[in-house]
Amino acid sequence: MLTRTGLTRLLVKSGLIIAALVGLSFLAAGGQSNNFKSSAGAKTASAEAADDTAKSNSPEVSKTLKTAAEAVGLARWSGVGGQRLPEVDVINTMEIWGAGTTYSPGPSSKPGEPWQAFKTEYHAALGYNPPAMRVEMTRTTSGASAPGGAAPQHTIETVRDTYAWDESEIGAGLIPGKGTATPAPAAVSNRLLQLWILPYGVIKAAVAAGDKTRISTENGATVISFPLSGLLAEVAVKATLDAQNEIAKVETRTDNPAHADLMTETEYSDYADHGEIATDVKSPGHIVRKQNGHPVLDLRVKMLDANNPYLVFPVPENVKKATTR
Amino acid sequence: MTRLFLAGRSIVTAALLCLLPAVIFAQNNGGPRMDHENTLPPTPVGATPIAPDGHPDLTGLWNGLADNLLGVPNQMHNVGIEVGKDTTRDIHSGVQIATWPLQNRQRQNNEQNERAATLLRRMGSNRPIYKPQYWQRVKDFDANSNEEDPSNNCMPAGVPRMGVPSYIAQTPTYLIFIYPGQGGLIATATSYRMIPTDGRKHTDLEELDGTWNGESIGHWEGDTMVIDSIGFNSTSWFDQLGGYFHSENMHVIERLRRDGNTLTWTATVEDPDVLLEPWTTTPRVALLNPDPKAILPEALPCSERDFAHVVTKEHH
Repeated sequence: MLTRTGLTRLLVKSGLIIAALVGLSFLAAGGQSNNFKSSAGAKTASAEAADDTAKSNSPEVSKTLKTAAEAVGLARWSGVGGQRLPEVDVINTMEIWGAGTTYSPGPSSKPGEPWQAFKTEYHAALGYNPPAMRVEMTRTTSGASAPGGAAPQHTIETVRDTYAWDESEIGAGLIPGKGTATPAPAAVSNRLLQLWILPYGVIKAAVAAGDKTRISTENGATVISFPLSGLLAEVAVKATLDAQNEIAKVETRTDNPAHADLMTETEYSDYADHGEIATDVKSPGHIVRKQNGHPVLDLRVKMLDANNPYLVFPVPENVKKATTR
Repeated sequence: MTRLFLAGRSIVTAALLCLLPAVIFAQNNGGPRMDHENTLPPTPVGATPIAPDGHPDLTGLWNGLADNLLGVPNQMHNVGIEVGKDTTRDIHSGVQIATWPLQNRQRQNNEQNERAATLLRRMGSNRPIYKPQYWQRVKDFDANSNEEDPSNNCMPAGVPRMGVPSYIAQTPTYLIFIYPGQGGLIATATSYRMIPTDGRKHTDLEELDGTWNGESIGHWEGDTMVIDSIGFNSTSWFDQLGGYFHSENMHVIERLRRDGNTLTWTATVEDPDVLLEPWTTTPRVALLNPDPKAILPEALPCSERDFAHVVTKEHH
């Protein structure tokens, strides 16, 4: 009886030429068209983001975004099943584990002084469709500004669409008696921003911004500028690519002084496939972020699962009821 | 980082080669097309045939999109992502997804191709919402699906994971569904279902031995065939991907509607033991095989021998 493995061996031995021909058929298409019509999780934006000298909606925008998307493994195609499909954005959900230092304003923080440092274990689950993120941190005091001796702080901060809440445990508030979900409506914008300033979020949002996205060059580096949208419509993003076309730096600004927490600067480096299951999705191994000039995060990524894992973010009923917008 | 995936290349090569007869068949007979440049659902053509009892006649070979033909399911049709020439849409959420045209795509080798396919199959937003205590289990099952997937090792996929039947025969009192085994790409067994439509009631759940396909009973709601199934084992998963396990209390409602030469299938899964809420698959649209002489080819014998050689968790 010819088993699957036996058939495979037979066909591999006798049919490599045929297989090569099949493979060639997948590569037959050519051409240099750079135009594309696309949008991502963010909606149409209204704010102006770029300087006047940059090009508007040019083929260079399309080319740059495609190159950046391919550099991190976001733009991909599949020929499995005999298909000849275009490249699409294949990233939806991912999970990040890391460790490092986070900083928060302490009870005695004064302007100009460094914030309190915490040794931090970091775990983020996120998705772009729908836009959602759950950040779980266990923080212990460390460094010169630490009072010392405090018990570790364990927090779970979650956001989805226009809802933000804090969970006492993963999935709290969805089943009666299973943990507490505390609405945090004031945190929606800040938590959503963390999603869209990740390298993948930047590319998705830049594509979604359409003709508002600009490409320029600063000190020899390619810069992508665009406005965010929805609740973050007042935020302008400036992303700088490195020599490998990976996003090395993301800066956000807003003219609204009440939202200084949306003024951020994040540096990404040490890109690699950090997944236990290889995906060819490259992610930064080192993330350093400032918020309104203060260091807030210095994270080394231990592992990143980009294989679109099962991550869901149902909004607890009490959070829906408490959120009036 | 080098990862050996010894079986992967042979499986991909075998899958590609298994497609060849279908491609030739399509070219010679105007039959199923394999060279998809999009995953858009087919547009219905022609009149819907009516059975003597006045209901639509579902009889036919529903592999016109090459789904299940020679055991190679066209999974991109089934994951809820509608890829067009230069636009892509998540059917469930309606979100537009960035797309770059075929003519300008970068090269990928077989290994990269397989990894991309894995991402594509899992990027849809239509996911069942489990109770929080089961979220990690679902993730673990999916991450370790090479070992954990119950449909591997020649086991049945079960209802509703089997999806759209490749062949339907309709009589006044029964529906016969045939699902050819997937020996070429995923080692599953050939299955059939005999579904009464004579108005009988379900057996008491307590009296049913849990099975892969459960006890199915069909009835018409207008022009839609509704198939209600209970009495499952808790071994199968209920969707193609994702580690979506269920309990013995799973209740499945399938809906099939014929429009001309298309058949639209959905399944709703109710399982209050593990799910927070019922979940419905993204509609799958099958195309009638246009060849009146078409038959289902014999499925390859199912004998799983590859998993002993799989040394990573990469999916295939």
